[in-house]
Amino acid sequence: MYYVAKVNSEMCSTYKCNMCTLYCPEPNTLMYDKEQKHGNDHGTSWVDEDRCKGCAICVYVCSDLLNRDCIEMAMVTTED
Amino acid sequence: MSLRYMIPASKFKRYLPKDYVELVDYGPFGKKYSEVGVKNMGAYKELVEEHPMCSGCWMAYYIKIIFASLPNPENTVTIGTAGCGRLAISQAAVPFVYGNYGDQNAMASGMTRAFRLRFPDIQKDVITIAGDGGMMDIGFSMTMHAWFRREKFTTIMLDNETYGNTGGQESGMSMEGAVLKMSPKGKNFGKLPAMQLAITAGCVYVVKMSPTNINKASKAIRRAIFAARNLGPTFIHAYTSCNIEYSIPTPDVFADAKEKEKGRFAFEEYMTPEAKELFAQIESKTKREVS
Repeated sequence: MYYVAKVNSEMCSTYKCNMCTLYCPEPNTLMYDKEQKHGNDHGTSWVDEDRCKGCAICVYVCSDLLNRDCIEMAMVTTED
Repeated sequence: MSLRYMIPASKFKRYLPKDYVELVDYGPFGKKYSEVGVKNMGAYKELVEEHPMCSGCWMAYYIKIIFASLPNPENTVTIGTAGCGRLAISQAAVPFVYGNYGDQNAMASGMTRAFRLRFPDIQKDVITIAGDGGMMDIGFSMTMHAWFRREKFTTIMLDNETYGNTGGQESGMSMEGAVLKMSPKGKNFGKLPAMQLAITAGCVYVVKMSPTNINKASKAIRRAIFAARNLGPTFIHAYTSCNIEYSIPTPDVFADAKEKEKGRFAFEEYMTPEAKELFAQIESKTKREVS
């Protein structure tokens, strides 16, 4: 069982923003997909769950600094 | 050796490690900085691989910025020493040399000279990345003497204000009165003036900063590397907190870095007139080259 960040891509793709990917301390973990998603104008961030260490700095950036609340921390199990 | 040498034949690709193939296909080698720089992080394969540093480590974040900012990753060599930083630096797709504790700047002196003899036609960048213990305590004499000799390489100090790798002893860069696990009575003297020492010793470009603004951090690193190519030693003193020894909850690590930026790690930049002239030249040539 792991504690990882999960991006709500429907909300994320409404903003032109990749701030969380710029502040993730882990390399190649919080990635940005430039293709338009869910009929919205922008791409979305996505998390490589195997690499995420669950520090929640991205949640601080998205919720506290930008007030967008697109990322939340969640438990995932290996069955997911 | 050209970059083509590293590209595998298409039939062999599936037998090679996935990380290697990803680096060849999506990595930053041979691409322009405007395509792969820090602003595009998350959209290409970064040089640093998975590493065992702690969750939410700001030092790991700064190391990630260093590797994303390299102007010429295929012709760069990093040198490190014992400490947390080498755990991530050694996992990057850039040659890494690991010496005895504190001798990183002495080794870098020899390597820059050897590279100039062996590859007179190629510009090789040498960067030493070490912690506050390796740079200012145990490696102090070698760091200072490399600067006195005006050796042309970049020195980056990852200052976490403690010996994080060995359980939290006080270092020369800890604040006065800092109470840590292995220094329960509090430190008796203040922080070493690393920036002033570097300026006095003859560094041509010196920066003290807390990496909260990614463009500013990247610009400082690139300027330091460009100045080190022709002018002389350069030094970056960066605040990279230790969230374990200073008990900072991981979501607040970024907030802590911003708080320190308002205090003792306020952005300070020193450059000689020659360095200023060089940056003006480079930055006017291509706007995105340095920023």
